[in-house]
Amino acid sequence: MVRLSRRAPCKWGRKALNRPTLEISGLCKRFGGIVVADHLNLVIGGGEIVGLIGPNGAGKTSVFNLITGFVSADAGAISINEQRIDRLPAHARARAGVARTWQNARIFTSLSVFDNLLIGARDYPGATLFNNIFRRGALLQARATQGDRAEQILKRIHLTDKAEVFASELSFGQQKLLAIGRALMNNGPCLLLDEPMAGVAGHIHETIGEVIRAEAAAGTAVCLVEHNVGFVRELCHRGVFMFAGKVMADGPVDQLLEDPRLTELYFGTKPVKDLPLVGVLT
Amino acid sequence: MIEYLSVLAAMALINVVLAVSFNLVLGYGGLVSIAHPIFFALGAYASGLLARDLGMPVPLAILAGGAIAMISSFALSVPALRVSGDYMVITSLGFQLALVHIITNVEFTGAAGGLTGIPSAFEGPIRGQLGLFAIAVFAIACVAIVRWLMHGPYGRAVTAMRNDEQALESLGRSPMAIKVMLFAMACGMAGVVGGFYAHHFLYLTPEQFGTFASTALLTMVVVGGAATTWGPVLGAILITLLPEAIRFLDMPISVMAPAQGVMFSVLVLIFMYLRPQGLLGGARAGGGVSSWYGSRAERRVNGGVKP
Repeated sequence: MVRLSRRAPCKWGRKALNRPTLEISGLCKRFGGIVVADHLNLVIGGGEIVGLIGPNGAGKTSVFNLITGFVSADAGAISINEQRIDRLPAHARARAGVARTWQNARIFTSLSVFDNLLIGARDYPGATLFNNIFRRGALLQARATQGDRAEQILKRIHLTDKAEVFASELSFGQQKLLAIGRALMNNGPCLLLDEPMAGVAGHIHETIGEVIRAEAAAGTAVCLVEHNVGFVRELCHRGVFMFAGKVMADGPVDQLLEDPRLTELYFGTKPVKDLPLVGVLT
Repeated sequence: MIEYLSVLAAMALINVVLAVSFNLVLGYGGLVSIAHPIFFALGAYASGLLARDLGMPVPLAILAGGAIAMISSFALSVPALRVSGDYMVITSLGFQLALVHIITNVEFTGAAGGLTGIPSAFEGPIRGQLGLFAIAVFAIACVAIVRWLMHGPYGRAVTAMRNDEQALESLGRSPMAIKVMLFAMACGMAGVVGGFYAHHFLYLTPEQFGTFASTALLTMVVVGGAATTWGPVLGAILITLLPEAIRFLDMPISVMAPAQGVMFSVLVLIFMYLRPQGLLGGARAGGGVSSWYGSRAERRVNGGVKP
């Protein structure tokens, strides 16, 4: 057994997981001739940080879109804490506890930083007219508890002094931080991060790392797509190598990176047909 | 002269309600619908017919007209919002043209000749003033309701929806539900003010609810400042008064009617270029055409998740 992180010791590998949080089995999706998920299986346990790696077009982001329901799968099952979510619409999956970020920050630029966080709460009651008119009490109560939570998250992402600033005025790195903070407001069991480090540097880089570790330590199942291999190596307990909608390998990140066959796939120096594609390492 | 001013004031106030309610859809919701005047028409015709032919008391008829407009909005919003964006514009345009044609061609609405004999809301020598007062009260109520809703938790959700629908959905809210409710609310307001119009002016013709009315409404909201509380109010008053001002130039009627249309279009173009946030939209008001147009373009560049 290989231990990869000093901060959040975690077992990797399917057998070692005692409580799978996110479970995907037999997930299939094709757009015409393009296969983005080909009988995909993936299990992520609570407290685990899993990195999805693979070349562009391997289907990493598509997996996120399939899990969150923005793209509907052709076949397969997705469950969160043993509850099937694959028939739910996207917003209901978020309410079941699947939080995600996007490659671009996609924050709400016309809202203040604090409002961006408030609206991220999974049970934000203010989005229906009924609650706004007839349930003012519940609204105020939720505002108080969610406001507290938003303040805590602001501290963690070091944006407390920007709380009342329009989100559009933040730097790109800060916007990425805010997007992660907004996803944290969901407070659910599963967090999907699409390239959290793309385009950020310096102390924001560190802050994002800290936030992700803390979330996992609190028991959240974290899955991230990332091209920055150093970051994946440093942060993830386990790596999943994807190619053409398939999971090619699943194991400790270092081991994946040393595998010459995966390097071939990543950089594509050989024609694909020459490579042993099935059952690598798993 | 007093008569003329009171008609102008009633028109301005009715336009204020229309612009403020249209602002919910266009400004706050970022949904470009052409069809708003048709809900005004539905409310006006429904209320007029219910009071005239079924003898319904006028206040009740006005409310019923609002309810009918609100319910009819689902017929547009539920199918059209599935395809939002540019298709929404086309669908709403079709919806509007079809309904105007129906009103023009069926018997019981008075067809092209217009609906006459609508009972008045008030009787007596000061009925005009009373009607004007009622419209003013309703207009103030609409402005207050919209302001209250859009500055609270609901406004936060609506603004988020305008900025990025998918991002909002990924947080557990249904953008579709928000859009349909925004439409229902806006169309309900337009329907009620339609009733006020019908029982104040006592005469309706189909052509006043055509695309020209849509253009005028769009101009009011854009010039005044979309997604602001007072922008559409100012816009409505200006756009009601402006054509009256050129009336004093004594142009022949064949020149004046098209001149109004040209004026509105030019105004919209000028504002889109020079001041997209409108007269009252601050550079950082966090709203206005620029903000929703920008975010939409951005979304297209970033690519939605759908292939």
